[in-house]
Amino acid sequence: MSGIFVVLQERDARVSRASWEAIAAGQLLGSQLNQPVTAVVLGAATEALAAEAAAKAIAKVVRVDHPLLAQYTADGFTAALAQLIQAQSPTAVVLPHTYQVRDYAPALAARLGQVLISDVVAIGDGPTFTRQLLQGRLTGAYRPTGSGPCFISVQAGAFRADTVQAGAAEISTFTPTLDAAQIRTQPGEPFRGAAQTVDLGSAQLIVAVGRGIKDADNLPLIQDLATALGAEIAASRPICDNGWLPMERQVGSSGQTVSPKLYLAVGISGAIQHLVGMKGSQCIVAINKDPDAPIFEVADYGIAGDLFEVVPALTEAIKTAKQ
Amino acid sequence: MNPLALTLASPQHFSILEKLLLALLTLTSAALFWRRFGVVLDKILKSKKDAGFSLRPLGRRVGDFVWEVMLQAKVIRQRPLAGLAHAFVFWGFCAFALVTLNHFAAGFGLGFLSPDGLFGHCYFSFAAVFALACAIGILGLFIRRFLVRPKWLGKKLSYESGFIAFLIFLLMATYLAAFFLPETSPALRTLWWIHTLAILTFLPIIPHTKHLHLLLSPATVFLSRGGFSRIPALDGDEDFGLVAGTDLTRLVTLQAYSCVECGRCTEHCPAANTAKLLNPKEVILNLRGYLNTLGPASDRPLIESLAAPQVPFQCTTCGACEFQCPVGIEHLPILVGLRRGAVNTGAWDDDYGSKLFLALERGSNPLGMPATDRDKFIEKAALPLFDGTQEYCLWLGCMGAYDPQGRQIVTDLARILNYLGISYGVLRKEKCTGDAARRLGNDLLFQQLAESNLEALAQSKVKKMLSICPHCVRTIQEDWKEYGVPPAIEHHSEFIARHLHRLPSEGAGGFNPLKSQDEKSRALAPEAGSPQPPSTATSPEGFVTGHDFSRAETAAQLTGALAPATAPPVLETIVYHDPCYLGRYRNIYEEPRAVVRATGHLVEAPRSHERSFCCGAGGGLTFLGEETGERVSHVRTAELVATGATTIATACPFCNSMFRDALADKGDTAPQLLDIAQLTARNLPGKIEKQA
Amino acid sequence: MKIIVAIKQVPERDAQVRIDSSGKWIDESGLQWALNESDAYALEEALQQKEKNGGEVIVLTAGPERVGPTIREALAKGADRAIHIDCDDLASRDALGVARLLAAAIQPESPDLILTGLQSEDLGLGQTGVIVAELLGLPHATLILQVEKTGTGIKVKRELEEGWFQSVELPTPAVLTIQSGGNKLRYATLMGIKRAKTKDVRRVTAAELAVDAAPVVVLDRIALPQKQKTTQMLPGTPKEAAATLVEKLKFEARVL
Repeated sequence: MSGIFVVLQERDARVSRASWEAIAAGQLLGSQLNQPVTAVVLGAATEALAAEAAAKAIAKVVRVDHPLLAQYTADGFTAALAQLIQAQSPTAVVLPHTYQVRDYAPALAARLGQVLISDVVAIGDGPTFTRQLLQGRLTGAYRPTGSGPCFISVQAGAFRADTVQAGAAEISTFTPTLDAAQIRTQPGEPFRGAAQTVDLGSAQLIVAVGRGIKDADNLPLIQDLATALGAEIAASRPICDNGWLPMERQVGSSGQTVSPKLYLAVGISGAIQHLVGMKGSQCIVAINKDPDAPIFEVADYGIAGDLFEVVPALTEAIKTAKQ
Repeated sequence: MNPLALTLASPQHFSILEKLLLALLTLTSAALFWRRFGVVLDKILKSKKDAGFSLRPLGRRVGDFVWEVMLQAKVIRQRPLAGLAHAFVFWGFCAFALVTLNHFAAGFGLGFLSPDGLFGHCYFSFAAVFALACAIGILGLFIRRFLVRPKWLGKKLSYESGFIAFLIFLLMATYLAAFFLPETSPALRTLWWIHTLAILTFLPIIPHTKHLHLLLSPATVFLSRGGFSRIPALDGDEDFGLVAGTDLTRLVTLQAYSCVECGRCTEHCPAANTAKLLNPKEVILNLRGYLNTLGPASDRPLIESLAAPQVPFQCTTCGACEFQCPVGIEHLPILVGLRRGAVNTGAWDDDYGSKLFLALERGSNPLGMPATDRDKFIEKAALPLFDGTQEYCLWLGCMGAYDPQGRQIVTDLARILNYLGISYGVLRKEKCTGDAARRLGNDLLFQQLAESNLEALAQSKVKKMLSICPHCVRTIQEDWKEYGVPPAIEHHSEFIARHLHRLPSEGAGGFNPLKSQDEKSRALAPEAGSPQPPSTATSPEGFVTGHDFSRAETAAQLTGALAPATAPPVLETIVYHDPCYLGRYRNIYEEPRAVVRATGHLVEAPRSHERSFCCGAGGGLTFLGEETGERVSHVRTAELVATGATTIATACPFCNSMFRDALADKGDTAPQLLDIAQLTARNLPGKIEKQA
Repeated sequence: MKIIVAIKQVPERDAQVRIDSSGKWIDESGLQWALNESDAYALEEALQQKEKNGGEVIVLTAGPERVGPTIREALAKGADRAIHIDCDDLASRDALGVARLLAAAIQPESPDLILTGLQSEDLGLGQTGVIVAELLGLPHATLILQVEKTGTGIKVKRELEEGWFQSVELPTPAVLTIQSGGNKLRYATLMGIKRAKTKDVRRVTAAELAVDAAPVVVLDRIALPQKQKTTQMLPGTPKEAAATLVEKLKFEARVL
């Protein structure tokens, strides 16, 4: 067995950022095991993707090309990759921990008698792979003990895409044997949820505004921040009671319960009625001029300052970072 | 004046024909009476037996009977003028018992009371006094019902009430008129017959109208469950609450038929007063209607017949209805019973309700907050953990553990305990007492929580408990009894009141209700060289470190709320709001007031003591969605603010939370909102260190 | 439709975590247990399917005796019967090993649909359902919010990243892993619990299922993460604090 395979995922016809992070992880593993890294791209017309991957400092790029792989299906990708892995026997297979990977990689590993170590945040000597347990309250070190290739998927942001240098890699093609009858699922076109209704419950990024905003005229400040972030706007009860924002944007015990990745509470003091609606947020940031405001008790990050100065500065900083 | 001429016709004046006629009429009247009353009695007896019913303790029942029925105490106290008028009518009826018996007996020549004998003479005079009072009473009530027409009697004019009032008046009038007629006047016979016919007409009407209460309500009061809002245990595996007619018990049926339609329940109901659909009187009358048309054996659902499905869930369980009812109807077991029927069968499909139950199923508290937050608070506030050696187990409850304001109250209570040198500890882990589950009718959850808590407390060797929340106190002390023996528990108002003599009412803490504004703000800042609290051998090192929100908040509110530094001295007036679960439920009115008086000038809201108007949070409603229409909390807050007090004092963290929300609209001119523990702690000396 | 729902009993969310003496798992003494959240949604979906299309809902769980109350809770919410794989050494099996147990118990039942939660609250691997599908040779789909019966099988609504969704059609029998939030959960009722008393719980031991238990991946040790959750107050001028915040959100919290 030799070689670290990194399976890349496509996004808008280019290699996704999460995939570059997986390459970075693969390179780390490769240097530990002293093995070369091979990128794998799947699809029906993978030339461009392969070229993009080949411009990096990795050893090889394998194009797994087949018309039946034009659209992602678990059956197609599992079968194709299983054949590739059986043919080329890598030591390890690294994938980005995306919804797509979660859909097929466990089956792929099982087909080969292995178990995927998913959502890895660090790679240690051994190799051992660290992942989070009990919803982040613990970390666990996993070690593969089987005799086949080990499979890992890496958490977004755990490895830095910018550590992958430019280079030149050799491209080869692998054509798997696939039959239309093998593909049992028929995926449809992706679609967005209903645009009209405000669904804070499924929003991943939320900027919430409270009484600190003082006046409805100041809301554009918050709007700018939300737009820069790509976030939904929410509010505490008094704002909705005053009619400054519609009732369906209310977060709290008598409004919506939300659990976004990021909850930015601006000018909100943190009364229990509001807290119960947003305490499930993964990361809570609070901006309030009162350093003793209860909201800071639940926040991961806090800025005790005047929101009229902090919010515009934050909007600018985000815009800069996204470029 | 011939005093006793009504006994008038001496037997030989009645002819055989008249006696026969009398017999016939009496029998007919009695038959007509029984025709309806028998049916009612049958419905009561055919209803399910009340499980666990016992006539003992007899003393309580007799006491209630004497106080509420014979002395008409509730009737008079809650509506004095009308109540007194009614009392006279009632006492008149009682006084007339022998008169009426003798009246009929005399008709058959069997009269036993002679106007010439001493006893007869006294008795008939005595009855005459009552007859007068009764006549005046019934006249007054008639005027009230038909001319004044208070809202609570309903919009429709009750002609039957009018007719009955007329009959009663006629009875008294005929009795009194006889006193003014000479013994031989032929008019006496006429009067006698009018009197007789009035009685014989009245008798069959009784069971057909609300006047059934004449016969039933003494029994209803006597047989009531007692206590207040006593929710009966479910009876067997098939009992899920009030689902259909077959679930109605004898007590409930008896109560439904006793309703006099006085409307006192609805008059004081916070839901009915804020244009909700819930109308307690209507629920009881609809129950009666159900019993009349379908009967107690029916398995047609009670919901829809008694009230639309959402109506029972508009009740805050404040208990004003049950408290006011003069005939002993227990509204709360009925309303909670309807809720049980919907919740225990899964028929109640409410987003917030489901969320509440799921939160309680999974974890420890109804707010759905992670228990680690509570741990952090305990650590920050340096609250000692209960280890079985301390005197009190301080129960935090959900608000005390998770609500920023509740935490301030707990922290201040801890300061008081430290100052007094009384040992206490908080439990490492608490599960919700199950108050919301019990009031919303989720018996599965309530049982799980009660049993789990009782076991945990027994294991931790808890003997005495102290709580800032009347809901916790009530549920622990009363409702948990269904599943075991709860430890003794008291509310912090009772505790503080008992220790008032040892607490400073002014001084080192710097608080003086008569100080000027800038002095007030200065006084709240930590003073160098402020005296230490008295240390005793048992006093723990007890200054509270960590974030002390009470100071930050109070200072901010005071400087914001009142005029700038150059203002003249301001007298602090404090209006105290009686929480439902402390006042009506526990009968504690004076202790919190003593605490308030020790720190400022007490003023009363228009509706106070047992008339206190609910804050709107009870009955689990604080965990459910937003109210429709006018909010109960806003109505009560407006009432409290209108007293002009500078401070609103609460003794319940839920009341506190509701008023806080409602006051948020009022901005800087709002009065301060403080719990009685916070009011007391203001006067304590001591360092309050802010955590860096 | 005959639906099997694989559920897992996990430590309750608020549990105080203390590492046990072996260093390989947490100290389970004094822990309270609960039904895994996404499994509750899987159960809810199954119950709704039964209400719509008729059929039977069977809950399947592997674990020691303490999983009893969780099984009863599932029965109380409306499942028709249960299968309990009595297994004391679940922790020593990897995802493949656990999936083998489940697949062995499922096979003789020949269900139309197998539902699992998306991932468990303790290990969070999110793989068991997919591996079961692979072992049974069945089609599968993950992150499912809604299920609809069609003439040829089922049509499901699948969650994609960043607020996108996708419909997928697949034949039955199939395996679905259910995402939280697709339905409103029902609460356990007194009536449900009473009815549950008479429902069948079939017990089968792990040994009887005779599957390969040797793990290919081992959890060597666990540790408390270095950073405990404390509030980081960001100092400086608004501009400085904002810049620091963006940096933290990108690389520390990884939410941007």
